[in-house]
Formats: sequence, structure tokens, C-alpha cells
Amino acid sequence: MKIAVMSCIHGNYEALNEVLCDIDAQQVEQIFCLGDLVGYGPHPNAVVEMIRSLDIPTVQGCWDEDIVDGLNACECSYPSLIAERRGKAAHVWTDQALHPENREFLAQLPLTLRHDNLCFVHGSPHNQHEYLMPEMDAFAAMERVMATEADVLFCGHTHIPYVRQFDQGQFTVKVNSVTVKSNQKAKQKTITQEFTTSLKKIVNAGSVGEPRHGRPNATYVIYETETQNVTLREVEYDYQKTCAAIIEKGLPEIFAWRLARGWEYAERADDPSHICER
Amino acid sequence: MAWAILSGIVGNLRAYEAVLADVRQSRLAIDEMFILGDVIGPQGDNAALIKRLYQRRPGEPRVAVCQGWWEEQLLILHGLGRTGEPTALIEQYGAAMTKTLWDAVPRELVRQIQSWEFGIFELDCLLAHGSSLGVDDVLTPDTPVVTLVDRLQRMEANYLFCGRSGLTFDYEIAMGQIQSTVQTLDQPATNQSRELPTKHIVGVGNVGGGEQATYTLFYPESGQIQFQQVACQTSPKGFGR
Repeated sequence: MKIAVMSCIHGNYEALNEVLCDIDAQQVEQIFCLGDLVGYGPHPNAVVEMIRSLDIPTVQGCWDEDIVDGLNACECSYPSLIAERRGKAAHVWTDQALHPENREFLAQLPLTLRHDNLCFVHGSPHNQHEYLMPEMDAFAAMERVMATEADVLFCGHTHIPYVRQFDQGQFTVKVNSVTVKSNQKAKQKTITQEFTTSLKKIVNAGSVGEPRHGRPNATYVIYETETQNVTLREVEYDYQKTCAAIIEKGLPEIFAWRLARGWEYAERADDPSHICER
Repeated sequence: MAWAILSGIVGNLRAYEAVLADVRQSRLAIDEMFILGDVIGPQGDNAALIKRLYQRRPGEPRVAVCQGWWEEQLLILHGLGRTGEPTALIEQYGAAMTKTLWDAVPRELVRQIQSWEFGIFELDCLLAHGSSLGVDDVLTPDTPVVTLVDRLQRMEANYLFCGRSGLTFDYEIAMGQIQSTVQTLDQPATNQSRELPTKHIVGVGNVGGGEQATYTLFYPESGQIQFQQVACQTSPKGFGR
């Protein structure tokens, strides 16, 4: 079975349309979406309606959550006060523009989806706001996959696609445990164990509507369940049309500027490993 | 230099006194005592116990306290927790426990309990009730090794002392290695190799939950870990590794 996984569309209808055309051309049998349908971009309703109409299984992203529950992230979400002002302005604009039925759709999205040995999340299995960066400590990254009890973990949120495959991890542990029972002397035993973890993968689907890999093209991934082969797809689209719409709608112009370059620049988080305490 | 590390007194002043007596009687220079939460409980004399924590007598070490599961539930009840509703408390003990716990701790002590740390980082050791993830995280020798490594790596600690399980154990990760490959749009698959230095997750025991109190002695310079068992009314007995 051939599946397509996309993420972080961010109200960019032009990019979504072109990615869906590319997915059609790849003869994909099933599409999954990892959330962040709205935010930054000028067409949140059109994007949500397209996802709904195609009945694409979708998890809730952090932007979707913020629109449903309100902005309550701590100030660490933004690298500067000016970036915070822009982020909040985009939130207010999206909040006002979004139709009630689309808001309801975002509200009912699950945080996790499962399909056989595949698991789909927005950020990480522990938190929609956690970034699983490709350089993340291998043991910590492996834990994120194993926490799902799946073999392949699909995530987004970073806007940069990658595939990380973990070969067999090996551990030797010595456990010195003590059992204490009422009115009895404690019993100690020491055992040594060897553990081997099985093959696991993290697949980051990149971003359809707000790429940050250094080019303006939309990105998504194709996964073949029989061969476990992953293909990172990069799709050209008319990003200037989206940039013009961002400015026309009165959203912060820097969103158009960075969309045209496919990079984060001033908006980049200081510490991507930080997770907001809400 | 030695540390005494304990958890789960749950308002049991007699058990705490038994541990203190054991510490005083030992010939070791125990200069720090870390209490990893669940100082209070729904029964017991919580007010007297908290007062005793700060009444340091000759021969007793300095005391540092962090919050445990019961402290977190109490703070939630008083509107000072990280969540608004005492969902976990009700799920585990029923709705009546909200009043029992509310009544078990005088209101004037709540701010003091709130001031206790979530966890303490000393040398290369993280000391916390549950883990680096939260006070309700239960780590045991049966927890998957990758999960245990993650809890250590979150704080880049070599030792994690925890008390949530109530068990006494020393889980030593003597060897850990993992190979991975990362492929991006612009780079072909590149190999990464990661090895883990020796790490320990230590369950420090439980003081107040039964007739026998258990706690842990740790010697930071040598890395030696020793578990202590104390009968709450009879003379204490030690057992080392």
C-alpha cells in the first residue's frame, strides 16, 4: 500500500492544491495529514474545507489547537517581542476568519492516529508542541517512537522533511533490586540483562504551506508499507500567488517574505527542544 | 560525603523519626538529606511532620524537599496546581478523597509546600519524585530501558533518584549504543552512532507506607549506593549492595 503523509498546510491553498495533484500522479491509495491546517496563511477556510471534503484522516496540530482553545502558550514561543506581535496578529486574523463549522472540525481532531504499525502525530507523541529535530539525541528520539508502540512514527511541526532510521539499539543493564516484606529481612537480587530494540523509523513530512528547508517548494512524503521505502517529495507551486494573498489579507508581510525563501530567519525559535508549560 | 535520600513519608511522623534516628546513629558523615516528595498524605500528622522537617537537631543533616504526587494533588485542590481539576486524585481514590486531603493539611502550610522544588539537580544527579517528565511518572526495573534513558537524557543526568514506585532498586545501564541514519532532501543518508556512558536510575524506597521504612544512602564521590531498612519501632538494620 502506498500512502502519502502531509503536514503544516497553514492556510496555503495554492500549495495544497498542487500537492494533491502530485499525490494523484503518484497513485497513492491513502492520504494522512498531520495537522496545522491553519495559521500564517491567507486561506484557512479553503484548506479546512478541502481536507474535510476529501475525508483525509488528520491529527490536530498546535496551531489548530491554539485556534480552538485560545492562545495560552508562554512567551518562550517567540524569539522576540516583534515576532510575538506578528504571531499574535496572525492568530487573531485566523481566529476571526475561520468559519464556525471549520473551527468545530479542528476541535474534534484527534492528537494521534494509528494505522497498523504506523503512528501519526503533529509534533511528538508526548506533545503537539515538541519538535523532533533530525539531530535530536538518538536515545530520546527512539523513545518517542517506542512510546507509540509503532514501528514508524510520522511527524511534522519542524517544516523540514527527513527520514531517520534506527538500527538495532543494544543495552546491557544490571538491576540490583531489594524486596522488603513486613517484619522480614530485605531480600536482594542482582540480575544482568541484555536488550535489543527492533528497527524503527521517524519520518518527518515537512510542510506543504510554509516550508523551511531553504526553498519555497511544498514538501510531503510517500511511504510504501510493503517495502518501508520513504520518498521525500518536493513540489513547485505558484508561491507568489500565496504571498500576494498574505499581503492583500493584511497578514504580517514577513510571512510572505519568508514563504518566498522557504526559511524561518527572524521567526526561528531560540530553543526548539523547549516545550511550553501551559 | 554521603546523602540520605528518601520518599513517601505520607504524613507518617513516626517513620520519619525512625529514619532520622538511623541517620543520627550511623557513623557516616551524612551531610544532605533529600526528600523526594509525598511528604504529606491523606492520613497522618502532616502539620507536625512539616514542622519537624525544619527543626534540625544535632547530628542531623540539612534537608531539601521536592514535591510529590500528594503535594501536587493538594496544590490543585487549592487552585495552585498546573491543572485546574483534581482528575487524577478522583480517578484513583474517588471524589471523597478531595475533602480528606483538603482537611489533612492546614491551609497555612500550602504556600510552603508550593515553594518546594519540582526536582533537585545536584552534581550529575537528578532527584525527583517521579521523573524528569512529571511527579506521576512511575519508574521501576520493568520500565523499558529506552524510556529510562529518555528520563535521564531530558536533564542530561547520570543518576536519576526517584520515589514514585516506592521500590528500592538500582538500575544500572552499563552499556547502551544505537546506530541511526538521517536522510534529508539535500543530503543522502548519513550514519550516526551514539553511545551512552554508564547511567543509574535508583528507586529510593518508601518511608511511611508500611511497618518497614526504606531509604537510600548515596556516596557521590564513589558512586556507591546503599539501601537502608528501618523498622519503625525496633532497631534499624542496613544492607548494602
